[in-house]
Amino acid sequence: MIPSYDDLTPGIADVLDSESVSRLALFLRDDLPRPDNTSASAHEAAAAVVRCSAKSALYACLRIAIQAEPAATECQPAACDPPPVPGASPSDRLLGIARDFSPRVMRLSDAEVLLDVSGLGRLIGEPPAIAAALTRAIADAGLTHAARVALAPTQTAARLMATQLPGCTISRFPDLPVALLQPLETLPPAINHRDRARPYETFARWGIATLGALAALPAAELSSRLGRRGIALQRLARGFDLRPFVPDPETPRYIGGLELEWPLDTLEPLSFVLARVLEPLSVALERAGRGAAAIRLSLRLTTRETHARVLQLPAPIRDPRVLRTLLLLDLESHPPSAAVDIVSIELDPAPARVTQFSLLTRAVPSPEMLSTLTARLSALVGESRIGSAVLRDTHQPGAFTMRQFMPETPMPELSLKDAADRSTLRRQRHPPAIRVSVERGRPAHLAAARRGMPCGPVTQAAGPWRSSGGWWASSGAGGQGLSHGAAAEADAVPRRGEDGWNRDEWDVALGSGAVCRIFQDRTTGRWFLEGMYD
Amino acid sequence: MAYQQVTDALDPSWAQAYTRVEGEQKAKMRAALESLLRARKLDVTLTSAPGALAPPPERLAPTGTPGLDAALGGGLRRGHLSEVAGPVSSGATTMAVAAMTAAADRGEAVALVDTSDTFDPASAAASGFDLARLLWVRDTGDAHRALKAFSLILQAGGFGLVVLDLADVAAAALRRYPYTTWMRVARIVEGTDTAALLVVRERLARSAGGVTITVDAPAARWHGEAHRARVFQGVLAAPRVIGGRR
Repeated sequence: MIPSYDDLTPGIADVLDSESVSRLALFLRDDLPRPDNTSASAHEAAAAVVRCSAKSALYACLRIAIQAEPAATECQPAACDPPPVPGASPSDRLLGIARDFSPRVMRLSDAEVLLDVSGLGRLIGEPPAIAAALTRAIADAGLTHAARVALAPTQTAARLMATQLPGCTISRFPDLPVALLQPLETLPPAINHRDRARPYETFARWGIATLGALAALPAAELSSRLGRRGIALQRLARGFDLRPFVPDPETPRYIGGLELEWPLDTLEPLSFVLARVLEPLSVALERAGRGAAAIRLSLRLTTRETHARVLQLPAPIRDPRVLRTLLLLDLESHPPSAAVDIVSIELDPAPARVTQFSLLTRAVPSPEMLSTLTARLSALVGESRIGSAVLRDTHQPGAFTMRQFMPETPMPELSLKDAADRSTLRRQRHPPAIRVSVERGRPAHLAAARRGMPCGPVTQAAGPWRSSGGWWASSGAGGQGLSHGAAAEADAVPRRGEDGWNRDEWDVALGSGAVCRIFQDRTTGRWFLEGMYD
Repeated sequence: MAYQQVTDALDPSWAQAYTRVEGEQKAKMRAALESLLRARKLDVTLTSAPGALAPPPERLAPTGTPGLDAALGGGLRRGHLSEVAGPVSSGATTMAVAAMTAAADRGEAVALVDTSDTFDPASAAASGFDLARLLWVRDTGDAHRALKAFSLILQAGGFGLVVLDLADVAAAALRRYPYTTWMRVARIVEGTDTAALLVVRERLARSAGGVTITVDAPAARWHGEAHRARVFQGVLAAPRVIGGRR
């Protein structure tokens, strides 16, 4: 259980009681017990600790010099220095050290990390011991260049101390320049540089150069001249925190892998390996109350190539059997080109779903089941042939697109031009050509080009309805644009451009009783069967 | 036919009278059987077992067509395989789309295995179908893959209505499937909350509790006398329900 802010930070200056004010005022006047200034000169790291009571809060500020890191790598490392962790930046390593000591970590910048070490007294000891442990950890991580560790009862004090180490003692704290407060301020981004520097210019005119001088100014007079910003600067100079400590949410990575003793060239034994890798990852996700939003599978092949697959899941899932099935179905569709040597899986975490069921509505398929079903159907008929149809906002006959099937997601509303109570049309995706005899301007007889198609004399006919569009995009090449992936047949509609069409439509009833929709392409004069009413 | 030829040779007038009486008796027997079927008492008549109770409303999936629902006793049976059979332009597809629309209106997920890729989303949406609730498996290529996709969806569960459109598949290709194939499909859907529906041109298969809805000769509705003012308004479907055992 994570303690509350109030439990861990009693006396922090966001609540100004008389005790905390006096304590911090004493602190600035160096009336506290003498600080224990520890210097880890062996690793060129410096640490400073302000002693405080056991019940008070304690913050540590870790600071490194990022720009000095490449220069350090050019030099030959000392024999006692451990090799740096490959692939991790110095700021990531610094953050990792902070997370090793405390779960309450706030990253201030790439070079500065603040952590709450209030509860470490029982584990490590007094604040000097905590500072020493932090210094050792920084040295072990290879971040020895200009690394600084400062412990203080407030965030502001810890940060100010860290900027002045080494060589800064608590007795020198009131003598620090006022300009050090500038990076500690939180100002709106839109404020210009002149406004940013204006109070400091005022302080310079007044002859206020140090934190001690600013802290000693009367607050009411300061407020009347500089407003709320002046008061905020004075509180910073006194070591108060303007904002509570808000730890960054931890974003752990869920990565698992397995190096095989011998290569696997079939999916069946690979399924057991996937299950072994996925189960601990799923347990970790469950403990964190999270699910996998995506699966990143990386298979190292015997040919030294890497077969990588990324599966985006429609909803966070952490059931290892579902995840394994999805991976196997995807590998069936996209098999690796050689035997597999190393299996590596990374799960992208996302907050777990919170589902509110109802007794009054019928349950819809769960995302886990839908994912598995879609994967199985994709392996059977192809990915592009599964999903929900979405009507396009156009008058083009039969135009639609496909999207992923999500039954709870509403569709965009479209005003349908043909909302009458009519029969359903069985549409031919690639309208076949037909022969039509025309008498007095109306279809009189249909002759099919191949068996199974409707033919015979026309008993009733309604039309024509002229329809055209897309002529503005006509380029003389391209498909008819009925749907995505529609490849025109040899005898299908002549192409007029990417989305162009120009035709006369008829509804005709044949002697056999069949009712169909036919159309004549006005550019070529040829007739086509668009579909059958049924 | 042979009996008719013999009686005609003996005495044509007597033979005609006998044929008329025989026809009347057959009509009476047929009417009695149909009345028993309508009253759902045929099982009690033929066996000693008591008749099953009518399914509760939650085990029925209304088709959205009031007359058809009345004939079906409330709708298609959930957990059973039913079929809609009819020739071209008979209204079989319209009936299936109406059932899917009704299921989507109830908030259920619907699946359509479209063997020949002939489903028209625009005309379905024009009838009020919420396309977001439709899992459309299109252009499966052949009946075998369509049947496999149908089985996968039924095994997954969670759908209110699953439709397999085989209307454009040649009857000879469908007849090659043994009846056990459809029994297996019926076994998959048995006991679930899913109503399975086939759309075919000729009667093909249904489970014991399912129904066969046959739609006879098409009758198109046209509005307007003059050529230029004539409008096609739809097909008048005349469904006939062949009920399953309750």
